[in-house]
Amino acid sequence: MKSSDYISAPPGTGNPARREPWVVAFIAVLGLVVLPLMNGAVPEGSAFHLSTFQLGVFGKYLCYAVLALGVNLLWGQTGILSLGQCLFFALGGYALGMHLMLMIGKLGQYHADIPDFMVFLEFPKRYPSSGGLPPHWIPFRNPLFAMVAVVAVPAIVGAAFGWLAFRSRIKGVYFSILSQALTYAATLLFFRNDFTFGGNNGLTDFKTVLGYDVNLPSTKRALYIASAVLLLLVYGFCRWLTTTKFGLIQRAIRDSENRVLFSGYATAHFKLFVFVMAAVIAGLGGALYVPQVGIINPSDMGTDKSLEAVVWCAVGGRGSIVGPILGAIGVNALKSYATHSYAEQWPYFLGILFILVTVFLPDGLVGIPARIRSIASRLRPAAQPTEPTPPAAP
Amino acid sequence: MRAFRVPRLLVLALLFLPLLAVRADDAARGKLVRAILSEDAAEQVSLVRELVAADDPLVLQSLSAWRLGNLYLWSPTDGTPAFPFVLDGAADTDGKSGALRISDGTALKDASGQPVRVVVSELTVADTSAKLRKAIKTVLDLRAVGDPDVRVRIDAIVKLGQEQEAGYLPDLERRLAIEKEPTVRRSLAEAIAFTKLGGDDRAARIAAVKSLSDLRAINSLAYLRKLRGAPATVADAELAKAVEAALAVLDDYERWGNLFGTAFRGFSLAAVLLVASLGLAITFGLMGIINMAHGELIMVGAYTAYVVQNLFRTWFGTTGAGPDLYFVAALPASFVAAAAVGLVLERGIIRFLYRRPLESMLATWGVSLVLQQVFRHIFGAANVQVGSPSWLSGSYVVSDVLLAYNRIFVIGFAFAIVGLTYLLMTRTSLGLQIRAVMQNRAMASALGVRTERVNMMTFAFGSGLAGMAGCCLSQIGNVGPGLGQNYVVDCFMIVVLGGVGSLPGTVSASLGVGVTDQILQPWLGAVMGKITVLAGIILFLQWRPAGLFASRGRGLEG
Repeated sequence: MKSSDYISAPPGTGNPARREPWVVAFIAVLGLVVLPLMNGAVPEGSAFHLSTFQLGVFGKYLCYAVLALGVNLLWGQTGILSLGQCLFFALGGYALGMHLMLMIGKLGQYHADIPDFMVFLEFPKRYPSSGGLPPHWIPFRNPLFAMVAVVAVPAIVGAAFGWLAFRSRIKGVYFSILSQALTYAATLLFFRNDFTFGGNNGLTDFKTVLGYDVNLPSTKRALYIASAVLLLLVYGFCRWLTTTKFGLIQRAIRDSENRVLFSGYATAHFKLFVFVMAAVIAGLGGALYVPQVGIINPSDMGTDKSLEAVVWCAVGGRGSIVGPILGAIGVNALKSYATHSYAEQWPYFLGILFILVTVFLPDGLVGIPARIRSIASRLRPAAQPTEPTPPAAP
Repeated sequence: MRAFRVPRLLVLALLFLPLLAVRADDAARGKLVRAILSEDAAEQVSLVRELVAADDPLVLQSLSAWRLGNLYLWSPTDGTPAFPFVLDGAADTDGKSGALRISDGTALKDASGQPVRVVVSELTVADTSAKLRKAIKTVLDLRAVGDPDVRVRIDAIVKLGQEQEAGYLPDLERRLAIEKEPTVRRSLAEAIAFTKLGGDDRAARIAAVKSLSDLRAINSLAYLRKLRGAPATVADAELAKAVEAALAVLDDYERWGNLFGTAFRGFSLAAVLLVASLGLAITFGLMGIINMAHGELIMVGAYTAYVVQNLFRTWFGTTGAGPDLYFVAALPASFVAAAAVGLVLERGIIRFLYRRPLESMLATWGVSLVLQQVFRHIFGAANVQVGSPSWLSGSYVVSDVLLAYNRIFVIGFAFAIVGLTYLLMTRTSLGLQIRAVMQNRAMASALGVRTERVNMMTFAFGSGLAGMAGCCLSQIGNVGPGLGQNYVVDCFMIVVLGGVGSLPGTVSASLGVGVTDQILQPWLGAVMGKITVLAGIILFLQWRPAGLFASRGRGLEG
């Protein structure tokens, strides 16, 4: 059987798929080499100079793009809409943030061995044996442990929740609602001061990353490049996954889960694996987001943020792989611009954009060429009548 | 003959009463002036204590002014002795105010007979000491025992009782003899018993313990518990026995009171959840539309209540009918407003997405963003004030448990709208059509039901219910642009927990969640209680994935 015929064709895209590698290579070179060079090598007065601040902003967008790829892996490719992706993003961020907090050392406001918030929340009274540091914070002194936790914590939480949900065949909108409730509960928990993660203020005031000053341009550049590399790797992984048999089953689950189930596949296991993968991807994105933005707090994990990530994905075009990246970078660039100049109007814009895209552009921006072609072919008096492309199933 | 004489004497006495009162007042003012001018602290305190009997408002006003350091001394330039005075009215724009002489209550005049205007910062304050201030406070409290306002009376009595000062007993007992209001009588009896309990008379103490237990005075629980452990009590077997018995009675009483209170709060929270999620039970449960803007429809209703309130205030004034009756009009108005928004939403967006439930969820989230911002634009980001009609404020007290009227109203309202919805669904042709369309759209359509129209009506009805919920919730919570966000997660959980498409499910899920939350709250606190309930729901759905009342269908993609 020539299964490769089916497998190599990504969903929803025809011709453009052949051009995609070149587009991606071009963007990768631009993002990985040109932009850092414009920041580091071009002198400051030049018109081609990119400020370190701007580079940091781009770095943030790249982390969001990683998050959007995770959303897409779940929603676009498997049909699971989770409203809790930002929870995993924040969990990864918190895991690294804890390490960064401990690396502040005595440089904090209180010049204590423990992070500032632990001093003013009187943790030394609660945890006298460890000098105020809660026991689960202690291993985070080790950067390797923190990096393992960045992957492991979202994976474990995702696995536990996913196992419970998929085992009892909670799917579709019910899964979305349940993931929203999980995220909501987690947000409430993290807002509490006695949950030992800084409560309302979260983790902030970082000084060093792996021994380097976080405010140095070179550190910022390195973090940016790390984000770009991560995005490229995740992109490559997602892209590779669509070409495998696993990717085929993923898409089959998206289009008709029951048929896959009756064909003898344990769909719950596939879904659980995808869910955990998406959680890990989100966690990695969050871990690189935190040192670049300098703060992580519970408002970063709320359901509204998760829904925003879904918007990026929808705007760019779910189902395709570059779409979510374009969506995340595009919508956020627009947001930075709009919240600067039109802060009041931004929610209108975001809301209306979302309505229009879901109602009229189910395939997002990357679906526009195909849509134009389909309209054009309908208008053309064709020799044999062509069926109009049906909208993608949810 | 004798029968007539007594009334005549009484009439005579009554005729002279005003005269006597004036003389008494003059005496009281004299005493106060003497107290203020006295150099002897002990004499000051005893003079102030004597003022308990005074009825003169000026004396009382001067006493509280003295305590707060607003009573001043005037030293005339002609060498006559200094005298005290208080300020008369608020300061004018120059910071000057009139002055009243305490001795005769007349305005202070200068040599030419013109009223004097004084500046506060240039005056000599009449000194007080901590002891004196306490004596004044006591006098004022004792005065408050006779205050015409029941609330003030009770507060004063409770405060006096807690001091356990035997000196107050005569005043309290005098009041008990003439008091008619039962709630005040109870407070008085409790204060007297509690004061006696603090005394030395052993028989009186035992009797006091007994009467505290008869009065179900839970405020004295802490003191009695302390008393049980005290060595003096342990030594006195009879007292110890009385205290034990009283504690047993009171503990029991408190336990039942707590249970009753928890039950009431649980029912009231359940009613709030039910009211908020009933609309969603229609739009999501019956129609299958994931309306993320449901919370914003609630908000539309709440803001409608606010607008109606303001209209009534301009039409009917800010007292009486305006603030009291607006709510009656606001309920239907909020239904109409939210139903109209729902209609536009259904026609404009949702009807394109009936086959794509996940997308309808995302599009309605966009709608919720827009609606929030619209309201922020029109009414501002801060919360708006929606007043309660007088018949919804205050509370009803049953055995020391406060039942707030607005909470009772929400419970009643929940019953009413559930009943209404049930009747609509089972007794009207619209209800029949709704059920037909929801069960089998194609078949209903084939039988001539205009399914598009039914969709429209159903969604508008569900939205209207959400609006009414908003109007109702404006009475118990804040009204702001974020109002909807506070309810939407809870609403979805209730509908999913109850079983999608089942009204009895929604009712029982609200009850379950509301009561569980209130039972957990005293132990875990509000936030942890809520988290536990959410986690509980997620686990519960493992056991029954389709909710409490699963609708039985043979379709796999139910």
